[in-house]
Amino acid sequence: MPVPARGGFGVGLVSASPAELLSIADSVLEAAGRDSAEVAVVEQQHSLTRFARNQIHQNVTETSRRIRLRVVAADRVGVAEVRGEVEGATERLVTTAEAARLLAPAGEVTPLPKPDAGPDGPVAFSRATAESTPEWRASQVRAIARPVAAAGFEAFGVVETSVTQTVVVSGTGTRRRAESSTASMTCLTRGEAGWGYAARHHSDVNRLDAEALAHEAVQACGRNQGATSLEPGVYPVVLAPYAVAELVAHLADLGFSAQAHQERRSFMRPGERLMSERLTVVDDAADLASMPFPFDDEGVSTRGVSCVEEGVCRGFVHDSATALRENVPSTGHALPMPNTYGPWARHLVVSPGDRSLEDLLVDCGTGLYVTRLWYVRDVHPLHTIITGMTRDGTFLIDQGRLGRPVRDLRFTQSIVEALAEIRGVGRDRSIELDEGERALLVPAVCLGHFAFTS
Amino acid sequence: MRDIAELVLDAAVAERAEYADCRVVQRQVQAVAVKDGRFAETSSFEDEGVGIRALVDGAWGFAGVDRLDAESLEEAARLACRLARASARVRVRPVRLAPCPPVVGRYATPVRRDPFEVSLEDKLDLLIRADEAMGRVAGVTTHEASLEFVREHRYFGSSEGSRIEQLIVESGGGMDATATSSDEVQTRSHPNSFGRQQLCSGYEAIEAMDLPGNAERIAAEAVALLSAPACPSGTMTLILDGTQAALQVHESCGHPTELDRVRGDEAAFAGTSFLTPDLVGRFRYGSEHITITADATAPLGLGTFGWDDEGVTAQRTVLVDQGIFRAYMSSRETAADYGWTSSGAMRADSWNRIPLIRMTNVNLEPGTSSLEEMIATTESGVYLETNRSWSIDDRRLNFQFGTQNGFLIEDGKRVRLVKNALYAGRTPQFWRSCDAVAGPSEWRMWGTVNCGKGQPDQVMHVGHGAAPCRFQRVAVSASAS
Repeated sequence: MPVPARGGFGVGLVSASPAELLSIADSVLEAAGRDSAEVAVVEQQHSLTRFARNQIHQNVTETSRRIRLRVVAADRVGVAEVRGEVEGATERLVTTAEAARLLAPAGEVTPLPKPDAGPDGPVAFSRATAESTPEWRASQVRAIARPVAAAGFEAFGVVETSVTQTVVVSGTGTRRRAESSTASMTCLTRGEAGWGYAARHHSDVNRLDAEALAHEAVQACGRNQGATSLEPGVYPVVLAPYAVAELVAHLADLGFSAQAHQERRSFMRPGERLMSERLTVVDDAADLASMPFPFDDEGVSTRGVSCVEEGVCRGFVHDSATALRENVPSTGHALPMPNTYGPWARHLVVSPGDRSLEDLLVDCGTGLYVTRLWYVRDVHPLHTIITGMTRDGTFLIDQGRLGRPVRDLRFTQSIVEALAEIRGVGRDRSIELDEGERALLVPAVCLGHFAFTS
Repeated sequence: MRDIAELVLDAAVAERAEYADCRVVQRQVQAVAVKDGRFAETSSFEDEGVGIRALVDGAWGFAGVDRLDAESLEEAARLACRLARASARVRVRPVRLAPCPPVVGRYATPVRRDPFEVSLEDKLDLLIRADEAMGRVAGVTTHEASLEFVREHRYFGSSEGSRIEQLIVESGGGMDATATSSDEVQTRSHPNSFGRQQLCSGYEAIEAMDLPGNAERIAAEAVALLSAPACPSGTMTLILDGTQAALQVHESCGHPTELDRVRGDEAAFAGTSFLTPDLVGRFRYGSEHITITADATAPLGLGTFGWDDEGVTAQRTVLVDQGIFRAYMSSRETAADYGWTSSGAMRADSWNRIPLIRMTNVNLEPGTSSLEEMIATTESGVYLETNRSWSIDDRRLNFQFGTQNGFLIEDGKRVRLVKNALYAGRTPQFWRSCDAVAGPSEWRMWGTVNCGKGQPDQVMHVGHGAAPCRFQRVAVSASAS
């Protein structure tokens, strides 16, 4: 159901305009009085309506603002951050950051990046998302819960919207601003003997279809009743996009960062084909099919990075610190600096293949269809071994067709080894959010082997 | 703070809230980190805001706001009520709250040395000494040490008359040394993994960690792991150190005894629980050696306070008594479903989040054994310490954990360092196989600072008292050889 057209600002709590936030950032920068200072202001309005057993049980909205000051001078760096409208915020920011800088030991300090003239776009933003109301979210919950209840199941999930304004300015001349939005609907359905799942994410609430979401979750739940156990072992699998997103997010976190490479923690061996030639993964912050955003936490334009090209390890994402160590330009993947974590690939896109879901089942032959991976954790980072559980619908694939449901299984598997044998890649892709709320654009895939351990 | 609370509560009641509460929170966090001889981070953030929860037409609404002028606060109170009315449009049953007598009171974390009064210079000096000591060990590739301090001033008011002021202080610190070879990355941590050990305490908690004094040891251990053999695979006797026992309690007892998970309130994200209400009082969760409590009064724990975020008095609840499942952690709303009173476990990680049922300090009560006795009376098995990976299913039954360090035990002695150890099992079978828990002298309070739950996500700091313990017939393996 689309958001009805309306005028005015519908969220409820008044937010500052982009111009006001820029003005706040400028005033902090001026107070810091340094060419080598950087100010980031992030303001967010976030609303989430949560439902369980066909009724809304939690319904929240928050407005928050974060101002962060980084001061770099004389081989020292200091940082201070204020959240909320703290009294005397500007003065306290400057005093605290400067005190931290003066006490820091002098040493190798990454200078603030210079402006790169990149555009403040494209940005995933929708006015309709910004104007959605509590009443609209409740109507979407009703639109989900009704067909679920009519099918004899119970619905659990969220309808969620957020609008974020981000401003980064610095004494080196950086002036970036962007207004972005996200909208999500998820639905778990519970029957007497099993669960189903469906999710949709987009920047525009009008692109989320509650009825279609409910239909998918009901169908999945209907198929997933009375699962029986299956002997653990190595099986070919078809992974739904929900599961592929988890796999690719962990792959990226284990190796796509230049810092992981510099610290010899990354599995990536540039130029070597470690995975199937059917796999191409890029970090593309400008892909309009996903959730584009133009710059990183230092205000550096985020450039596309080809991380895996037809199975061959290629590039790494950089922030200004890792870039300096290799004397290359930053790719614009910084988190708030300085930090110990390093750059982060946050716009992951997997290239589509040419297979329908039916084709992928045929590619699999006999194996398992996995809807979701749950509680995925690293076991051996350098070997990209992870463990986790299947969840909300695991089915046998029997001679190319979806068969009976099986009980959730634990897997312990090297991602790289699994992706070395890709039998097919789906032609349809969807936007998924991982645990870190990073958007990934991914298809379903068929893998030749996947190890289930209990 | 009191004025803000009164204003907000008046506004909510004027909007016909049947019940309202409000939390005014000021939070100050200081983080300092040194990595590979470089000054990696010194940051300080201050956070202030108000969370308003309103019950209207039998349904909940919540608004969080960080603007503290009267207009914004009243608008937020009205928004909370509007959200509640929207919730009521899709309501099957009205919310009922278990009774809770109004409270007026104050609580403060006992602190001997205020961490915010210790100079940044002293903190940096400590970290630099620890970082340098790790870096001096040949073969170590990266090393880092960090500190974090939290001071949170909370004021709680409810339309039922509660007025509570609390000052919570946390001190945390830790360090990691990593050694790398062509096919291995091995890390050792002190005092715990996940970046740090944290307690509701003053700076004395940091002094007790002795980071510089343990730096060379963990660096050498990380290097030694590179050439250690892989942990053997098989069904065997398993001894866990206190830190890993604490995480085992967290995942396989703490979460499944949260009553909101049982109701399905967390099904959309964190999951449900295998511990259904029909099992209370009769289900054998573990062996007779296993008694687990949720104790918000335990000294030093990150879940220690005077009152929870619904104004319910801190209390000690026996979750598992000598192996028998006895009770849940609950809220006023969930407890009312079963005719119980709240166990006082409602906690929010900040002003901008609603309180959820969260662990307080979920403790494995001490036994009568000791680590050395357990090892000495083990013919064949492994002793594992410090968590490296963790995963459990959404009902909290099927788990697999990995640890940083392991020792093969033969004929009652630690005979060999082993690496990449994993162990797996199912929760009740595992706890039923426990045949020894170390006594009070080896029991420590550990802090878990990364407990995620809820939508929007909340990261809670919770405590776990634990001691080394031993299990029989556990599936042990290695992640890679």
